[in-house]
Amino acid sequence: MTGTASDARLITPTMLGAWLVLATVPLWISTIGLYPYIGVEILIWSIYALAFNLLLGTSGLPSFGHGAFFGIGAYAFGLTQFNVAANLWVALAGAMLAGALAGLLVGLFIAHRRGIYFALLTIAFGQIFWTISVKWHSVTGGEDGLLNIVRLPVNLGIASFDITDNERLYYFVLAAFAVVVVLMWRLVNSPYGRILSAIRQSEVRTAHLGYNVWAYKLSAIVISAAFSGLAGGLFAMAQRSAFPDVMNLAQSGLVVMMTLVGGGLVSFWGPVIGVIVFLIARDVIGAMTTGWMLYFGTMFVLLVLFRPEGIAGGFKLLVERWKARGTAPEALSSEPRSG
Amino acid sequence: MKKHGKPALGVPRRTILKGSLMTASLAGVGAFYGPWHHNRAFAQGKKPIKLGLTNDSSGQFGNSGQDEHRAIRMVIDEWNAKGGVLGRKIEWVTADTESSPAAGTRVAERFITREDCPILIGALHSGVANAITQVANKYGTIFLNTNSSAPSEAGENCSRIKFVWDGNGTNFSKAAVANAVKTIGKNWLLLTNDYVWGHSTAAATKALIEANGGKIIDNLLVPQNTRDFTSYLLKIQQIKPQVIGTAIAGDDNKALREQITQLKLDRPGGPAWINNQQDWPDVWGSPQSLFGVFGTSWYHKLNLPGVPEFVKKWQDANKDGPIPVPGNVSYNGYMATQELFRAIERAGSTNNIAIIKALEGHKMSAKDRMQHFDAYIDPDTHQVQQTIYLARKNEKPVDNTDHFEILSWTEPKDVMDDAAPTKCKLVPHDKVPSVDA
Amino acid sequence: MFDLLPHLLNGLVLGLLLALIALGFMLIIGLMEQINLAHGSLFALGAYFALMLTGPKPPLPPDAAAFWLQIPLGWRYALALVIAPCLAGIVGIAVEVCMRRTYGKDPLYGLLLTFGVALVLEELIRLTWGTRDHVLPVPSGMSGAFIFQDLIWSTYRFYAAGMAAIVIGLVWLLIEKTPYGAMIKAGAHDSEMVRALGVNLSKLRLGVFVLGTMLAAFAGIIVAPIWGIRPHMGVDAVVPAFLIIVLGGVGSFWGAVIASLLVGLAVGVSGAYASEWSLLSMYLLLVAIVSFRARGLFGKKSMLEV
Repeated sequence: MTGTASDARLITPTMLGAWLVLATVPLWISTIGLYPYIGVEILIWSIYALAFNLLLGTSGLPSFGHGAFFGIGAYAFGLTQFNVAANLWVALAGAMLAGALAGLLVGLFIAHRRGIYFALLTIAFGQIFWTISVKWHSVTGGEDGLLNIVRLPVNLGIASFDITDNERLYYFVLAAFAVVVVLMWRLVNSPYGRILSAIRQSEVRTAHLGYNVWAYKLSAIVISAAFSGLAGGLFAMAQRSAFPDVMNLAQSGLVVMMTLVGGGLVSFWGPVIGVIVFLIARDVIGAMTTGWMLYFGTMFVLLVLFRPEGIAGGFKLLVERWKARGTAPEALSSEPRSG
Repeated sequence: MKKHGKPALGVPRRTILKGSLMTASLAGVGAFYGPWHHNRAFAQGKKPIKLGLTNDSSGQFGNSGQDEHRAIRMVIDEWNAKGGVLGRKIEWVTADTESSPAAGTRVAERFITREDCPILIGALHSGVANAITQVANKYGTIFLNTNSSAPSEAGENCSRIKFVWDGNGTNFSKAAVANAVKTIGKNWLLLTNDYVWGHSTAAATKALIEANGGKIIDNLLVPQNTRDFTSYLLKIQQIKPQVIGTAIAGDDNKALREQITQLKLDRPGGPAWINNQQDWPDVWGSPQSLFGVFGTSWYHKLNLPGVPEFVKKWQDANKDGPIPVPGNVSYNGYMATQELFRAIERAGSTNNIAIIKALEGHKMSAKDRMQHFDAYIDPDTHQVQQTIYLARKNEKPVDNTDHFEILSWTEPKDVMDDAAPTKCKLVPHDKVPSVDA
Repeated sequence: MFDLLPHLLNGLVLGLLLALIALGFMLIIGLMEQINLAHGSLFALGAYFALMLTGPKPPLPPDAAAFWLQIPLGWRYALALVIAPCLAGIVGIAVEVCMRRTYGKDPLYGLLLTFGVALVLEELIRLTWGTRDHVLPVPSGMSGAFIFQDLIWSTYRFYAAGMAAIVIGLVWLLIEKTPYGAMIKAGAHDSEMVRALGVNLSKLRLGVFVLGTMLAAFAGIIVAPIWGIRPHMGVDAVVPAFLIIVLGGVGSFWGAVIASLLVGLAVGVSGAYASEWSLLSMYLLLVAIVSFRARGLFGKKSMLEV
């Protein structure tokens, strides 16, 4: 968690540290009882959660149907690959574009909403997209899924890399993650991002200052949906298939939970921390017991009760305490957001 | 042997195995019969064969997933008790596939790359089965699809490494429809779940109805997750068909059954109902709501040699289980696992290609499978072609588990899905990555 | 034209059932401004408690169980209708006590907490009653069917709709015609004022939450014989409840009831004439209405909007 001085920088020390640690993951992940695919999944969900947090954390817009954009990205990746061009960049662009278009469509209906109505309308749209993905099986394969999606080679013009292996895919997704982190960081710390934050604090006040709140919210929805679509495209590649289930309400709820658990409301890195903790906990507990939901749910309840600011919030608190050495820290909610 | 992320220290493996056992007994899903309770007549120094059991324990198929899980574990215990397979002990790991494809992919990746499982067993939902197949294809891991009855599993979504053990929607339609058109009536209405399984089953039914001189007067598509069927049931009464062919699955079907029996729409004078397969774990919760004619691949009171002994054996192994007798889901799990072990012994190897070849085209006697006719594993589609039974609610049960009255049994050749071989394209054996255990 | 009438009638019946399902959710969201995601699990819990009381194996000592089973099913069912929601209410107390820590914070935390509670409750149900489906026995007088206008109708559905109507009426009386209702409503809009009036706010919140829980459980018992009982049945309840509240408008009692009837009619009529769209019709209805009326049909300005 770096200080505010680094906010303007393109790349912060925290980012470098995170990338470096993540880059070594394939070397030791097996020795701690995990496996490369979970690493791939963590990075993909991290991209998704960062994109989601542009709405929840930065703009204060709770979207409960975000799985729709993720799922649309996944289908678009497969469909572009099958029908347009079997090129990784084209397929990923297709996933982002489809996510953005869906975001635009939904945004036109909900960008002038706030709070609970915003949340509930996103649920409705999520359900509509889910229903379409199940119903329209000539295109999506319905509940059987859109199968045989290929992990396309990374073609850089001069060289081409094969990423069919999980470890190679991991590095490709890590590169995508790094790009998304930089873009999101710049976005959040740009004048545009500050206006989104202002909207989160008070829509009325921001409007009185002369900003077109509706346009800002709509654009945030579109950007968030586009990156969620990108994550979905990567997920389709990891899973080699796309299914409707990532679009359902429970799965859409997961990204909200991960973001909040990690501390997305108080920290840029919160969503990433949440994803890491959430997916590893689920995998480890799930391997030990088929009744994993009980332990997982209990953990969840305890976390909300005793660390409602999330893990990043708790960590921040510790740092503050250490810095203050005895003087009581201020309430977290009044702190500025930082990385 | 193909290795994937082999755990160098290999520490927590045992913990995982024990953990799953512990909870299984905690959760009351059956008595604990760990492999090491039996005599250890395993060949010295040979490493165990570790199976990945991809069974749902939560979500829509959690109940059936655990039912097949119990039967698979039973086979493993039996074989371990008599010295394992090829003298090697069989171990297993399991994790909840949550009735969700995303979880299916993750669990399959975990079992193959982390636990080094050469074989995966278990599936109910076609999406989960396909998600697992996509992973298994990549590594060449054999996957036994025990209970997903979508026709597409042995059609367009077939795979060289996947074997399909259940009868599918087309098989059941073929067993029921021709006869029903002739004996009951020509005016049919279809009540179809609006997703792939429903549509493909309805298409098979429609073709058969029309081929036999009947006609479809309406096809009501029912969205997935429908809990309230009254508007459809009222509509049916207004349209007045002679026969209704349903392809409704899962929780939707359970709700439909309740509502039809409450209305007594299944009584004489009303329309006749031709249903698809009714899974035993679903029936057990509400046997009183069975209606019409339906299919099954096995029943625990079939009047065949070996059936009572099998039921007894199953009951001894599952004393505190939630369901007192085995049904089709448990049966498929048992038969799949048993045939797998036999195939390994026949192949004399745990090489995946050798096992696949030992399974392909393999004939299984009626006696051995406790069905009326011989069955075989179709080499072109990897589906087990087997006897299909039609049944209805039993009005004269001999005990409190006797819910089916078996009406007929049809030979595999008469219920075969003729379209499947044209849709299924298996990759050549030498294109499958080699796996050994 | 007369073909349509049965479907309109069915739509209204379905609407009443949906209103019953949404009622507890509505109270908690409207009066406490908390989204209770555990609503579905509490709905399921009600059904399971009732099953425990009416089923063949009540969790009582042998003598007491034998005595209990001698009581005719009709009476046991009637008692279960009262006792099961009370048992669920005890669970509700525990949830509310946990939830206190989230009051005054972002409403998302309450939502997060209740999501965790929902996971725990669902798994506890699975451990206690197993994964299989169950059927809630109902007295024979209420089951079966009758013929009206040449069509066969389910008796139980009309009984259930009648119960829903009664409960809707009782809740309305409580909110509009008793001093408690006035306090609850005041508490939702201005907790400072309520405190100033000397009302114990935390007791008030506890009361509302427990009432919401009991209503969820009651709805579970009433709906169970139609939908069936299974561990994950809660999802079937929480989604329509959500939808109805947005459609009707947060904080509006009649908004929720009218929205339920509209959804019931939309699902029922589309089920007959455009069957494959019947479930989607409620979402399309929502999008259509909320596009023109920002806060649903009768929504008021709510703290949850900022």
